[in-house]
Amino acid sequence: MRRVVITGMGVVTPLGHSPAELFAASVKGESAVGPITHFDASTFPTTFASQVSHFDLAKWIDRADRFRNCGVNTHYALAAAKQALGEAGLLDANVGDRSRMGVYLGSGEGKEDFDILTSSTAAATAEGSREANIGKAVGLLFRRLNGPQEAEQEMYAPSGYLANEFALDGPFASCQTACAASSQAIGEALEMIRDGEADVMLAGGSHSMITPLGISGFNRLTALSQRNDSPKTASRPFDLTRDGFVIGEGAGLLVLEELESAKARGANIIAELTGYGTTADAYRMTDPHPEGRGAIRCMADALADAGLQPADIGYINAHGTSTQANDSAETAGIKAVFGAHAYKLPISSSKSMLGHLIAAAGAVELVITVLALRKGVIPPTINYQTPDPDCDLDYVPNRAREVRFKHALSNSFGFGGQNISLVVSEFAG
Amino acid sequence: MLTGFGVVSPIATGADAFWPALAAGTRGVRTISHIDATELPSRVAGEVPGFSAKAMMTETKYRKELKSMARTVELGVIGSQLAMASAGLAKGTVPPHRIGIEFAALMGATDLNDMAAAAKLASADGEHTDSRIWGAKGLPEITPLWMLKFLPNMPACHATILYDMQGPSNTQIPGDSSGLVALAEASRILRRGLADVMLVGGSEARINPVTLSRHNLFVQLTKHNDDPAGAIRPFDATRDGTAPGEGTAAFTLETLEHAQARGATILGEVAGWAAGVDRGCKGPGLARVIRNALAHAKVSAADIDHVNAHGTGTTIGDAFEARGIAEVFGRETPVFAPLSRFGNLGAASGLMELACSVFALKHGELPPTLNHSEPDPACPVAVHVGASRPVQKPFALKVSYTPLGQCAVAVVRKWE
Repeated sequence: MRRVVITGMGVVTPLGHSPAELFAASVKGESAVGPITHFDASTFPTTFASQVSHFDLAKWIDRADRFRNCGVNTHYALAAAKQALGEAGLLDANVGDRSRMGVYLGSGEGKEDFDILTSSTAAATAEGSREANIGKAVGLLFRRLNGPQEAEQEMYAPSGYLANEFALDGPFASCQTACAASSQAIGEALEMIRDGEADVMLAGGSHSMITPLGISGFNRLTALSQRNDSPKTASRPFDLTRDGFVIGEGAGLLVLEELESAKARGANIIAELTGYGTTADAYRMTDPHPEGRGAIRCMADALADAGLQPADIGYINAHGTSTQANDSAETAGIKAVFGAHAYKLPISSSKSMLGHLIAAAGAVELVITVLALRKGVIPPTINYQTPDPDCDLDYVPNRAREVRFKHALSNSFGFGGQNISLVVSEFAG
Repeated sequence: MLTGFGVVSPIATGADAFWPALAAGTRGVRTISHIDATELPSRVAGEVPGFSAKAMMTETKYRKELKSMARTVELGVIGSQLAMASAGLAKGTVPPHRIGIEFAALMGATDLNDMAAAAKLASADGEHTDSRIWGAKGLPEITPLWMLKFLPNMPACHATILYDMQGPSNTQIPGDSSGLVALAEASRILRRGLADVMLVGGSEARINPVTLSRHNLFVQLTKHNDDPAGAIRPFDATRDGTAPGEGTAAFTLETLEHAQARGATILGEVAGWAAGVDRGCKGPGLARVIRNALAHAKVSAADIDHVNAHGTGTTIGDAFEARGIAEVFGRETPVFAPLSRFGNLGAASGLMELACSVFALKHGELPPTLNHSEPDPACPVAVHVGASRPVQKPFALKVSYTPLGQCAVAVVRKWE
């Protein structure tokens, strides 16, 4: 089987706009969570989020004005891609066979025009009615919406712009499997390279749902933490008092490359992507299976794919969302797969610091996992104060830990029941 | 192997009705009736008349979940159900971890009536909305499961629950190319032995206030409002745009061993695929992807009976697609564009259009492209028009693309 290595990484996150910044902040245990400033959310049930700040696309991309109508999902993806391809030495379109280089992006919807959508609906709705005059609403939407901006919100756009901007002419795909999307993109991109359909894949995710309708949707599902008096401690994976996830935004992209291709061009090999597991819970729309049914087989499949035993894994970067349901089901799943080793295994959740980047979460967390492997330092789970009897493993509470290990596993589980596990390994030649 | 097929479309519902409607030249593009579209410049679309998910859902206990499904999700779930029934695969007939799903879908558009009461409270003047009032007073008016109605991965989610599919589940979103990307990924999953059966489907419902008003702003839509059935004119010199459609198409895809072991009826075979990007939609990039798909299927251009084009009827799109096809096939191979019969089904387009070729190969008869009468020098391909023509070779090649040049191609083979 063709082996696949990582030769470049890039991120735009609330904790930094490069893998080095992100990892340094993670090791320090910093939280990026604060009041929502993208819009006035002061009266929402949840008033805080983990936002990207000080982002300027012009710092990354020439003539950034070309992308003025795009959503931030495209902007973040472009900046992360620039970093990843730069590190891999693949920015120059004359390097390599571009028809053998592709894109696989986990991404979500573009930005909805909340103001026009809702005010037009209101104008078409009679006082006291719950139904709009649709004909009138359609006319208003047609006259008010900004066509060029709407065009850029189509779901093919973020992945399409990555291919066009960076001359990645090979296979493409783009998936939306909620919180599992970017990990699934990385896993399936791995398979595309293994199968010989491509030699290089730029894979990961980009997403932002910190918008009025995004927060509205999650608030109505009561999925978000409402710890408005203490945003920085709101994301507390595995802690007994956890009350929901904290929404984040950003992008993470990795350059996956077939080993011989990487060697032939003298690329710097960061780590090897050795295992991938993908299953479905087939249980409920939002809740994971309480015993981690799908997660168990997903982790076990990823280990088998990598040719490893449970005891070979030295660190798990957990999905760890800080919801009651996920953290206990994930813990149960880890115990089922790892047995006695589960209790000796450091596990941490990057979401305690970064929040939940939804479709971008898994890719950003894999970048952290790779750097933990390289540097022998495991970032902590912050805000861990009160042990939960259902979550009794070693979550690396509150302080980073120096540990050398050769293999790590990263989990991503999404609304809709998709489970993804990835295994990264020290590149041993 | 393609075994079962499920379809809800503007021309027919159910696999048994689909081929007769194709062969008879049924036209599904009509004046829009689902909503009042009088204020829009383009008012024709491929609507599914009388679709009722509640009436069609056979798992009666699951009907209560319909309240959390937008029309695009309903279509996808019913398409999945029809495909599984057509394949004779009841829940539990495949071990749960040996069956998965790949679906093509996009974010559904919100139902304005779901937010009308909230919007009315938060927008006093109908010109702007105050997010503070929305947060305080509007939000409680929104149904709790509102967000789940529209998420792209919900057709797959519901199908996995209904059929206990615990294998891989993924949802592809690259626009009109999503269906063929999903088909390729499902085929890859079967080839690497991760499952025995994959459900591959797509669904989209574009005839709603938000999508129609948006698409009228940035998609070239036909102005032939007085002639809906003749409005979409693939590769024709008089074409002036496309029209949206709605529907779902879903196949069960099985390994040959699994299909044969259970004595399944085989509709056709997925022989190969390729995807790649033609930056700037120039043509040579699409030609490269077509050549890659032929190579992947281990066939040559001469083995292809017909090319099944996306043929949306847009000025730029058709010219781009024709250049790419012509670079590989010249004017030798007939080009069949079924989209003028039912509109552009977006995420459902790839598999709906592919199904036309699967059935054409199976029945040995290629129906004509409708609404093509005046060739355009900018589209140098041999569009198949007039009467049905006998199928002469066992392979067909299907093309899909997005406006950003993301081209996906699949090759299917007649099963003999």
